Amino acid sequence: MTLLGEDRFEEAARIALGDGVDAALVLAFHSAGGLTRFASSQIHQNTWRESVAISVMAVVDGNRVGVASGSSLEPDAVRATLDAAKAIAAVTPANSDFPGLAEPASYPAANLWDDATAETTPAERADGVARAFEEFPSSIDAAGYIETTANEVFIAGSTGLRAYATSTQAGCSVMAIAQNSSGFAESVERKLASLDVPALAERAVKKAELGRDPADVEPGAYTVILEPAATSTLLQFLAFLGFGGKAFLEGRSFMTGKIGEKIMDDKITILDDPVAPDALGLPFDFEGTPSSRVVLIDKGVAKDVVWDRTTAKKAGRESTGHGLPPPNTMGPLPLNLRMEPGDQSLEQLVASTDRGLLVTRFHYSNVVSEKETVLTGMTRDGTFAIEDGKLARGVKNLRFMQNAVEALHHVEGVGDTTETSTELFFGGSRAPAIKVRDFKFSSATTH
Amino acid sequence: MVDDEVRALTERALDVARAAGASYADARYLAEDSESIDVENGRVEGVSRGSDAGIGVRVLVDGAWGFAGTALMDAKEIERVAGLAVEIARSSRPLLRAPVVLADEQPVGTFWETPIEEDPFAVSLDEKIDLLLKASAELQSVQGLTIAQSSMDFWRRHSFLATSEGARIEQVITQSGAGIVALAVGDREVQQRSFPNSFRGHFACKGYEHIRSLDLAENAARIAEEAVALHKAPECPSGRTTIILDPNQLCLQVHESVGHPLELDRVLGMEAAYAGTSFVKPDDRGSLRYGSDQITITCDSTLPGALGSYGYDDEGVPSRREVLIENGVFQRFLSSRETAPVIDETRSNGTMRADGWGVIPLIRMPNINLEPGTSSLDEMIGTTDDGIFMSTNISWSIDDKRTNFQFGTEIAWEIKKGKLGRMLRNPNYAGKTVEFWSSCDALGGKDEWKVYGTPNCGKGQPAQVARVAHGTSPGRFRDVQVGVRG
Repeated sequence: MTLLGEDRFEEAARIALGDGVDAALVLAFHSAGGLTRFASSQIHQNTWRESVAISVMAVVDGNRVGVASGSSLEPDAVRATLDAAKAIAAVTPANSDFPGLAEPASYPAANLWDDATAETTPAERADGVARAFEEFPSSIDAAGYIETTANEVFIAGSTGLRAYATSTQAGCSVMAIAQNSSGFAESVERKLASLDVPALAERAVKKAELGRDPADVEPGAYTVILEPAATSTLLQFLAFLGFGGKAFLEGRSFMTGKIGEKIMDDKITILDDPVAPDALGLPFDFEGTPSSRVVLIDKGVAKDVVWDRTTAKKAGRESTGHGLPPPNTMGPLPLNLRMEPGDQSLEQLVASTDRGLLVTRFHYSNVVSEKETVLTGMTRDGTFAIEDGKLARGVKNLRFMQNAVEALHHVEGVGDTTETSTELFFGGSRAPAIKVRDFKFSSATTH
Repeated sequence: MVDDEVRALTERALDVARAAGASYADARYLAEDSESIDVENGRVEGVSRGSDAGIGVRVLVDGAWGFAGTALMDAKEIERVAGLAVEIARSSRPLLRAPVVLADEQPVGTFWETPIEEDPFAVSLDEKIDLLLKASAELQSVQGLTIAQSSMDFWRRHSFLATSEGARIEQVITQSGAGIVALAVGDREVQQRSFPNSFRGHFACKGYEHIRSLDLAENAARIAEEAVALHKAPECPSGRTTIILDPNQLCLQVHESVGHPLELDRVLGMEAAYAGTSFVKPDDRGSLRYGSDQITITCDSTLPGALGSYGYDDEGVPSRREVLIENGVFQRFLSSRETAPVIDETRSNGTMRADGWGVIPLIRMPNINLEPGTSSLDEMIGTTDDGIFMSTNISWSIDDKRTNFQFGTEIAWEIKKGKLGRMLRNPNYAGKTVEFWSSCDALGGKDEWKVYGTPNCGKGQPAQVARVAHGTSPGRFRDVQVGVRG
C-alpha cells in the first residue's frame, strides 16, 4: 500500500475543520489489504480492497452534535461531509453530556508498521497457503485464511489535536477437517513474518488426527482445560458485558458495585494494554486521547473499567483512551484485552487433571444473562477427554452454559504463554490456556 | 441513474481484465447512503449520516477467482485494480483443485428499484427525532424503568453491475427500520423488552411510510411495564413441554436452523473454518425429512416490502420464489452460479449478495419464509393443556453444523388448560434442528403471518453483514426442552 501520508489527511482536515461550527473532530482512515481464503484444500476466495473513510463531527451552540461520513478525501467531498455534519448538528437537540473535544496530547511511542507486511503480494499469501498444505496428509482437508493489512489513521480536532499512526497486521487460521474430526489453530500478529503457518497447520492436523472417531460424552460439570482461543471467548464477552464505563454506570455491568472486591481467582489478572509489544492497538483512541494500560482485574480483584470522554465526565474520571468513533452509543470498550499468563505449560495443566475435557475453541457463543455473565456456545475443532493426566480420546462437541465470572473464580491453573484469538463476528484478545473446575455443559451434539 | 463516469469506469475495468486474460469479469459499483439516529433516556445520543462508494472487480482466470476493490474511483486506479484482480486470480490457480464453472445466466440490461411511498432521506431530521423522543418519553413514564432507547436506521444502496457477458444492471434499494427498547436494571439481572422486534426494531424495503406504521410511542408504555414486571415474574421452569413461538422469535429459528444450513457454499465446505458447515448434504434433496408436514419453507427475493428483496442478485440473476422445504421434505439449496453446477443444477437461484463494493458476493438469505398454516394463535393456545408462549428473541446459538441450538426470548407466558397465565422471566429453549421442526403440529394462518427483517446477519471473511428477512406465523412445537440452566 502506498501511504497517503499525514499531509494528505491534513489537507482534508483543513477543509473539514471549517467555518460555521464551534468545534469539529475529523477521523480518517486509509486501509488496504488482501485476504486469501482456502477450503477443501484449495484457494477458493482471494480478495483485496483499498478503502478511504472520513468522518466529521461538527459541534454548534456548544453541545449540539452531528456526525457525517464519506469515502473520499477530495475537497468537494470533504466539504459535503462537513456540510452534512453541520446540518445535522443544527437540528439536533443539545446534549448536556457532550464532553467537548480532547486537547492536543503526546502519544506513547510505538512501532506498529512492517514494510514487508504492507507490501505482501498475492503470490506471497498463496505461498503461505501452500506451506500450510504441505503439512496435510491427503486424507485431511485444509480450510482457513491468510490476511495482510496496512492502515493509516488520522485524527484532527479544532482544539489543535492531531494524531496519526500507521500500522500493519497479519492473521492466519488453519482448520484441519478429517472424516469425523477436525482441528484448528490461529495466529494474529503485526508482521506476516511472525506467523508460523506450517506450525499452525501442524497443530490443526494433530488435533484432527487425535480426535478421530470421537466418543459420546455426557453433559454435566467437568474440569476443563480451555486453550487460549476458548479463554479468549470468555474475555471478549466480559469486555462487551461489563469492562466498559457505560455499562458500569448504567448498573448493567458485573463490575458495578464490585470495585475492590475479589470476584475471580487470584491467579486471574485481566487488563487492556493497546500498545504492549505484542498487542495490536493504537497509541490513541478514536477521540484522540492517549491509550493507556488499564488493569481491570488484579489477582482476582475488580479494579476498574475503561473510560471514554463522555463516561469519564459523568463519573468524574479521566478518559483512559478507550473511546470508539463518534457517534458512539455503546460507550468505551477495551479492544486490546489480555489475560496475564501463569506458570504452567499446557502439558502441565493436562497432566494435573485426572478427569476432564480439553476445549480447543468455542463456536457461536452468546449471552444468556448479561449481568450474571451467563454465556452459552458450542465447542468445536478439537474437544478431548482427559483421563489420568493424558488426552485420552476425541469426544463429540458439547454446548456449554456457564457463568463466565464464576468460571474465572474456579481457575486451578493458568498457562505460561498467551495467544491472540479472534471471536466470531467481533474482536479478539490475548489469553493463556486456563484450567477451570465445574465448568458446565448442558447438552451434546452429534459430531 | 448512475452517471456516465461510473459506467465508463466499469467498462474500463472489464476491458482491462479481459485483456489481461480473464475469461469472465464483473465490475460492481456500489454507493450507499445511510442515516442512523439514537435516543436514550430522552437525550439524542447520536445522529449520523454516511456515504460510501467504490468499485469491485471480480475475475475468473483459468478457472480461478480473483477480486480487488477500491474507493479511489479514477480511471488509472480502476485499471490498476482490474489488473490486480487478474494477478490475484493467477496466484490462486496453482492451489485450485477444480476450476470454477459458472451456471449459465442470460445477461440483461435493466433498472430496478424498491417501490417506496415516502423517501426516508427527504423526511426532516426534526420529525424523526421528535418521533423517537416521544417514544422515549412514553417508555420513561413507567416507574422502575432504567433505560429507554429508541432508534431509526435508513439505507439507500445504488448499484450498477457490468459483466463481461453483457449484463448491465442498475438497482436502487431503499431500506428503513426503527425500534424501541425498555431496560429495567436490577441488582442481579437486566430485563429487556423490545418493540416491534429486538436488534434495533423492524426493518423493511420500504420508505418512511414503514416508520409511520410502527406505532412506536403507542406501544412504549406497554413494553416498559413488561420489562419492569419481568423482575417479579417467576423464572421459566426447566423440563420438556409444548412451546408456542411468536413470529418475532420463530423468524430467527428459521434463520439459524433452516436458512444457514441450506446455503450451498456452507454445504460444500466453503465457510468451514469460520461460520461452519451444514448437516445437510447434496444427496438429501428430495429425501431428507426436515420437519413435520406443517413445514413448508420458501426462498422469496420478490416479496414486496421485505428487507431481503431485490430485483437481481450481485451475479445478475433475477429474484424469484422457490420452495426449499415442501411439507417437511427438503428440496432445494440457496445457490450461486459457481455452486449450482457442483451439484448438477443448471441455474443459480439468485442469492449472491455482497455487503459493499470491497467484498465479493456470497450466498446470502434473501427472505426465507415459513409458509402459514391453518390454525391461529388463539386456537393453538386454546388447545394446549400445558405449555409456554415465548416472544421476542434475545439470545441465539447453534453449532457449526447447524444442529444443536439454544434460543432465549425476552418474555414468555405459561399456558395452562388452554389459557395464557403468568408471565415468565428468562425463558429459553433448546433442541436439535430436525427433531425440533418435526415436532411442529400447528402454524397460524395467513392473517397472522408477519415478515421481520434481520439487519445483522454475519458471514464471510472479511466479515460481511447482510440484511435479510423471514416471514412466519406463530407456531406450536411439542416436547421441547425449556429452561436450560447453567
